[in-house]
Amino acid sequence: MTPASPISRRSFRVTSAGLLAGALAFTAACSGSAADDKKGGSSSGTVKIGLTIPLTGVYAALGPDLQNGFQTYLDQHGGKLGGHKIELVITDEGDGPQTSVPSVTKLIKQDKVTAVVGLTNAATVAANVQVVNDNKVPMIGAVGRPGKIDKPDYVWHTSYLSEEPGVAAAPYIKENVAGTVYAIGPEYQGGFDQLRGFTDTFDKLGGKLANPDGKTKWTPFPGTTNFQPYFTEIKNSGAKAVYTFYAGTAAVNFVKQYKQSDIKDIPLYAAGFLTEGAVLGAEGDAAKGVFTSLNYTPTLDIPANRSFVAAYQGKYNALPTMMSATMYDAAAVLDKAIAAAGDKVTPETVNAAIAKTGKVDSPRGAWEFNPATHAPVQKWYLREVKQDGTALSNVMVRELGTLG
Amino acid sequence: MGWFDDNFIPAVDGVAYGLLLFVVAAGLTLAFGSGGVLNLAHGTLYAFAAYTAAAVADGSWVGLALAVLAGIGAGAAGGGALAALTAPIAGRGHMAQAMLTFGVALVGSDLLTTTFGKNDPQVSVPGALEKPVSILGHNYPGYRLAFIVVAIVLGLGGWYVLARTRIGAAVRASVDDPEMLAAGGISPARVRTGVLVAAGALAGLAGGLGAPIIGPSTSVANTVLLQSLLVVVIGGLGSVGGALLAAILVGEVQTLGVTLMPDLAPYLLFATMAVMLIARTARFGPTGSRV
Repeated sequence: MTPASPISRRSFRVTSAGLLAGALAFTAACSGSAADDKKGGSSSGTVKIGLTIPLTGVYAALGPDLQNGFQTYLDQHGGKLGGHKIELVITDEGDGPQTSVPSVTKLIKQDKVTAVVGLTNAATVAANVQVVNDNKVPMIGAVGRPGKIDKPDYVWHTSYLSEEPGVAAAPYIKENVAGTVYAIGPEYQGGFDQLRGFTDTFDKLGGKLANPDGKTKWTPFPGTTNFQPYFTEIKNSGAKAVYTFYAGTAAVNFVKQYKQSDIKDIPLYAAGFLTEGAVLGAEGDAAKGVFTSLNYTPTLDIPANRSFVAAYQGKYNALPTMMSATMYDAAAVLDKAIAAAGDKVTPETVNAAIAKTGKVDSPRGAWEFNPATHAPVQKWYLREVKQDGTALSNVMVRELGTLG
Repeated sequence: MGWFDDNFIPAVDGVAYGLLLFVVAAGLTLAFGSGGVLNLAHGTLYAFAAYTAAAVADGSWVGLALAVLAGIGAGAAGGGALAALTAPIAGRGHMAQAMLTFGVALVGSDLLTTTFGKNDPQVSVPGALEKPVSILGHNYPGYRLAFIVVAIVLGLGGWYVLARTRIGAAVRASVDDPEMLAAGGISPARVRTGVLVAAGALAGLAGGLGAPIIGPSTSVANTVLLQSLLVVVIGGLGSVGGALLAAILVGEVQTLGVTLMPDLAPYLLFATMAVMLIARTARFGPTGSRV
């Protein structure tokens, strides 16, 4: 076939414009996403709790870890929190605010839940702060948390501040890497916070980044699936180690491609999500030897963790992840708070009670809320991906100190 | 050695990426040039095949072969269905067909998430292909290197069929002069159906082979459609040779562009298209006549 077809040039241009207009409209039309909802009337005595977790998109693989962690606590306590039967309403978080804000709003306005739990994406949390503060409904996040929330009145996190994995890892990396470190991460709120935690602390300790302009390299989110070109730049920078934060599908792509690239022998350090949960299974052997910093490892040898891991593994035939543990703790916090609210269980009384939670006896060890940030004061751990029996696991290397 | 060595891997990767886009876009441009169908569901065919491949592939060589065959089957079936759907409105111009296939794409993407779930599945490839291969002292993913070889073989095969066989001659004739083709005793309608099935099969083949490179996800249909539309527009509608050059260009812009011009990378793709369209207008003049 030759380019000189009888299609006239005019019709070519008209058609090209139509093609593109159609394609763009199509892309826009598909970027929204429907939330899954379950409706149900609440009888007196039953308390409704809303879960907003990723059911679609880059972080969808994390959804089950979150839901199963919360469910494990419910199963261990007869489906009750604070003496009330619990009805769960689940909505989709998607890839960020355009899906999650309608989801959280629906839980509050339509389902009239007592608390909203879940939320993996820091951008989701940031966009919903005003929603929950205005409606006076507590929101307990279990994963990403933007560092700066001016008024966290109704916002709580059982996870950490998004900077902390990097803050915790920086001193160890400064001590153990002889040379510069390349910093790379996804271009959105969670990535900014995670990487800033590392780069600011590393800089204060006198560490130098290998990035040519001395700044973190950002990759488009959630669009980046091919990391090869970035790896070439890392190789050319002469870095002695890489620090990153990716989660979900992006983490799988990053790790698998890393281990098949020119930089496969450069040590890889990351915030824990790079090798956490379902993504570790998908990465397989490519993840071996990756060092990550996190507030939990399923290999932690304390009684609260042993019983949690046993219950979780018994039901789901998989090791719990940090997200399972923080969701388990979110249920534990609500258990105490709903009980403390007594006869009058409303979003406001529960929120007031959460502030007085005190020590939470968690699988990761005891922690409590920092009254200023509403996030945990807790220990951090350095973990390395190793073969543990038949499965790969994030095995504890050492403690990294207490933050929060 | 320095500059070449520094940018060697992105350049190779651009070829891999470009060839994948070429296999997809070749189907799109064939369907338009010969079948006369502006197929906005083409990306959905890729996605369908990629999901199918991910479900079938189990990390063995047989699994890989089955995944590719299943992808081709899924794509060809989709192409056949589109041929049947668009046949009644063949005389109503491109916009009517674009609307129809656009609707099919919307329904199709919903069907995909219903069938395969909303999670982005991972594709298992044979262990031997998951190892890095050393080329000129650089490591490069084995699967992508193998894909480059396979895509070149496919391209040569496609060129042979189009340029050297009776079937290819009929397809070319259906573009240039359908009346003459009919006078020769071959039904242009049957050629049109055949081309649409073949175009679907190409999208399916790309989905089956390409799933480990551009993997199945809720957004993959849009991504692939948009990029192959760019390829077709840059390469010239209906031109397979133009699509090849355009696909390699688009591939390189997305890999070399990221290493050479990191700050501009997100805009480079559309800037390239704008430049190509302006250049073409300047060459052929606003009314379409050569100046």
